[in-house]
Amino acid sequence: MNSTCAHLDDLLFDASPLAMETAARHAEECGECAEKLAAWNDIGDTARSMKASWQSDLLWPRIERALKNEEKQRLSRSKWLWQIAAGFVLTVALGATVFYAVRTQTHDAAFDHDILRIAAMDEVERAERSHIEAIERLEKVAESRLDDAQTPLMVSYKEKLMLLDDAIDECQANIDQNRQNAHLRTQLLAMYTEKQQTLTDVLREDNDVSNP
Amino acid sequence: MTSTISGSAPPSTGADDRRLAEGCAAGDTKVFEEIYGRFGERMKRVAWNHLGNASDAEDAVQETFLKIHRSATTFTGEASFSTWAYRILVNTCYDALRRRRRRIEESNIDDITETAERTAPNVDDTKRIALRRMLDELPEQRRAVFTLFEIEGLSHAEIAEILGISEGNSKWILFATKKELQQKWKR
Repeated sequence: MNSTCAHLDDLLFDASPLAMETAARHAEECGECAEKLAAWNDIGDTARSMKASWQSDLLWPRIERALKNEEKQRLSRSKWLWQIAAGFVLTVALGATVFYAVRTQTHDAAFDHDILRIAAMDEVERAERSHIEAIERLEKVAESRLDDAQTPLMVSYKEKLMLLDDAIDECQANIDQNRQNAHLRTQLLAMYTEKQQTLTDVLREDNDVSNP
Repeated sequence: MTSTISGSAPPSTGADDRRLAEGCAAGDTKVFEEIYGRFGERMKRVAWNHLGNASDAEDAVQETFLKIHRSATTFTGEASFSTWAYRILVNTCYDALRRRRRRIEESNIDDITETAERTAPNVDDTKRIALRRMLDELPEQRRAVFTLFEIEGLSHAEIAEILGISEGNSKWILFATKKELQQKWKR
């Protein structure tokens, strides 16, 4: 294989034994290329002689210590992480329990409140019914006397009782639509009390007229 | 395809590499000791060739072992375990060089070259010191290719895997680097 100075770099790039042999043959005939090739080879030889080696008996123990420290730190970190995670889970569990307990309690209280309200309402209505029944009994007694009303006072009582009955009916109709309206119930009670008082007055008046 | 760094260490298999990686991830000191026994000497030399002194080289090797421990779970087996470990080492050396560039003085280099035992005492010390100085002035990648090929005797395929470049590029970088050194060598 013939080579020229221009090919020297190609041969050095190739770097195969054949290429280096060809370069060496060309260098025998070319001083400039011989100098280049000598420098090239010298660099390679010098580099290969730079394989440093030294005793370092303490290096492995040092590495081992560093690795153990690192592992210890990693475990400690992971232990902390576990503790934080456990704390978090505990807090969430505790929070959930408290929330559930409070909610249950609130729910029970609301339920109890509803029950009490219904029971109180029933009691009020029961009391009203017995009150009304008592007044109706009184009304039956007074009815015959009112039908035969002869004095202006008795006529006035009769009209008053008719007005009161109309007002009571209206008030009762309103209560049927809103059973828990305390104001209407108070009003109804007042009307019944007034009716009771009026009926009592009717009976007393009649008694006074019969026994002057 | 995986290639294994040749040298004094026995060739490793895929299963062997996985065992080493798993041991490192678990922090198994015995596995680390085995790795040190198989690759430690070359690791020290590679680090020395990058950093120029034994103390920095040993620090780099130690840091490399810690990095292997931390990142063993990321070992995919695409390259062999040794290639992967040398890649970490070279990157550690790059980092150390950046941090310590100003610390490496000429006197240190001379001191260290005296303490390191050489395998070819027939070659002139002056040449070695001159070449060391020239290497120190090279960009990181060029120095890495040159030292791994010329000093450590790695193939271009191995160098390519360690440095994450193509085999052709490794060959080209070596040629360009030697050409540059050749120009300076003549003076």
